[in-house]
Amino acid sequence: MNWENTLEFARGPFFQVALLVFVAGMAYRLVRVLALGWQPDRVQAKGSRIGGVAVSFLKGIIIWPFIPWVKNTFNRNPITYLAGGLFHLGLFVVIFLGTAHMLVWKSLLGFGWLTLPLPIVDWFAAGAIVAMIALFINRLVNPVLKLLTGPAEWLNWLIVFVPMVTGYMMTHHLWFQYETLFSLHMLAVDVLLIWIPLSRISHFMFYFFAKAIHGSDFGKRAVTP
Amino acid sequence: MEKSQTAVNTFVKETGAWIAAQLEACTRCGMCAEACHFYQGTGNPEYAPVWKVELLRRAYEQRFTLSGKFKLALGLEKAVTDADLTHWSEIDYYACTMCNKCSMVCPMGINLGPLIHDVRTGLSNAQAVPADLHAAVEKQEHEGSPLGVTDAVFKQRIEWVADEWEIELPVDVKGADTLVVFSSIEIMKFPTNLAAIAKIMNAAGEKWTISTKGREVVNFGFYEGNEELTVLFASRVFDAAKELGVKRVMVTECGHAYDALRWSAANWMPVPAGIEVTHIAGVLGEFVKSGRIKLKPGAYDNDGTITFHDACKIQRRGSHIQEPRDILNILAPKSFKEMTPNKEQAICCGGGGGVIAIKDADPVRYAAFELKIDQVNQIGAKTVAMACSNCRLQFTDCVQHFNLDWKVAGLAQLVADALVG
Repeated sequence: MNWENTLEFARGPFFQVALLVFVAGMAYRLVRVLALGWQPDRVQAKGSRIGGVAVSFLKGIIIWPFIPWVKNTFNRNPITYLAGGLFHLGLFVVIFLGTAHMLVWKSLLGFGWLTLPLPIVDWFAAGAIVAMIALFINRLVNPVLKLLTGPAEWLNWLIVFVPMVTGYMMTHHLWFQYETLFSLHMLAVDVLLIWIPLSRISHFMFYFFAKAIHGSDFGKRAVTP
Repeated sequence: MEKSQTAVNTFVKETGAWIAAQLEACTRCGMCAEACHFYQGTGNPEYAPVWKVELLRRAYEQRFTLSGKFKLALGLEKAVTDADLTHWSEIDYYACTMCNKCSMVCPMGINLGPLIHDVRTGLSNAQAVPADLHAAVEKQEHEGSPLGVTDAVFKQRIEWVADEWEIELPVDVKGADTLVVFSSIEIMKFPTNLAAIAKIMNAAGEKWTISTKGREVVNFGFYEGNEELTVLFASRVFDAAKELGVKRVMVTECGHAYDALRWSAANWMPVPAGIEVTHIAGVLGEFVKSGRIKLKPGAYDNDGTITFHDACKIQRRGSHIQEPRDILNILAPKSFKEMTPNKEQAICCGGGGGVIAIKDADPVRYAAFELKIDQVNQIGAKTVAMACSNCRLQFTDCVQHFNLDWKVAGLAQLVADALVG
């Protein structure tokens, strides 16, 4: 196989199609859910619904990832907390603060931003990969996760893991030719983009709804979410 | 129609965007299990809160999403069957109090308690409710109370309480400010609570009344998830309040009734305008703060450590977190001690949500309570106070079952016994 042609395809037309499927697919998912109709909460609030939503997001985004041990459930399943947190943190750093990825964003959006030096980004990438492996093992041994994990969950894991590993390998020129790894990385990313709207990886969009519903319900009752 | 079809139709009908968005947000991380006292107590992974909404998720995905239809077609996932209903009936009714602690640890913030209530509605419409719970619901429908408080029994009990404790209990007083609605648990099992609450209301100079029509605050329809009966039982209270022209309804030491009447009813039915729904825990706090009742400081400081058990529906779901603490800090400033975790993060008693009404659920109910035993023993408390009679019933039963030497006390009782002036 000619890797250069494959690379051209994977980062050219296939990437564009994948992006289109991703955007259109997510838009479809969002519309499909919202079209089910929203029943307004007619109960008179005691506290502030908006305030509850704000606290809910603050806890979720700012406080929780840094001090997970505030929850007593932390001790019972630390792997999910630590590995789950590390995975997401690593992912965001690599995708948004890695120079190579920022350039992709720049080509799509028309503007770029400051990025972190490669060695730092690299540690986050390695951390995210280790976290993914820990999460994999956790799904094999934890009794609740064993019950909850089916083919869909394993497939999600694989489809997220391959772009991460190929990306890491190409940065470090490990084992294969650069073009080969770059092609595999791009192909894996394309598959991931197409897969996201079809799977639970789309949770990042619905996260904002669930957190808001939670915060609003607690705010209405004047209880800290 | 097959039972399972009825359940699925209910799930599909119930699933608005707010439910779908929450189901879609779930990553199946299993964190919720770590918050569930039933999973912690038994180690049964099927008691993971996320697993309790499995039927709702399947119905939603298979009806509304491409991936769900795809999985169904490929045989990766099965449609909901009648056997599933029987299986999940035990999971959702035996091992859930809908205390909503799980929602507080969910990284996505999914409000699992209300979702599990929706699953119960599907099971209820499909007549897959545990027999003893459903019998209690029917009893409330026909007799007005799940514990057999008929009109005659009610009259008799009220007269007896008034006599026994020499206390005035105003009945059907038009133009009173507050309608006090007791739960049948109090009427039948903790009648001292009736006397205690009456004593407090009288001491505060409140213009209050009880009603012979709206005489039962518990709502077993809400436990079952039966929408029609939930509304019927709630409307009995609201109708009585309207008829008597009161300004507020006060729920006594009952948790789920407060959740139903105060925090949910307006979404099911038109609720009377201008009638506030309050809870005794909040009213007690208000009376103490405004000086309408005076308490003997340190009244319980010589009986060993005293702690407060937060009820899921009164504290976490009802916000009366501070008032009981303010009161206990007056009554036992030296010996009041908190359990950990507490307040909105508290561990539920394990008896609510109708669980205590189901005989076959006894083993899981006791297993869940073991978490509470550890919590109380950790601080060496001798008295556990609470503002919910359902919790109190669970505590009283478990104290006997596990042979514990704790005193179980209702908050109103503690207040009534320490009134001065």
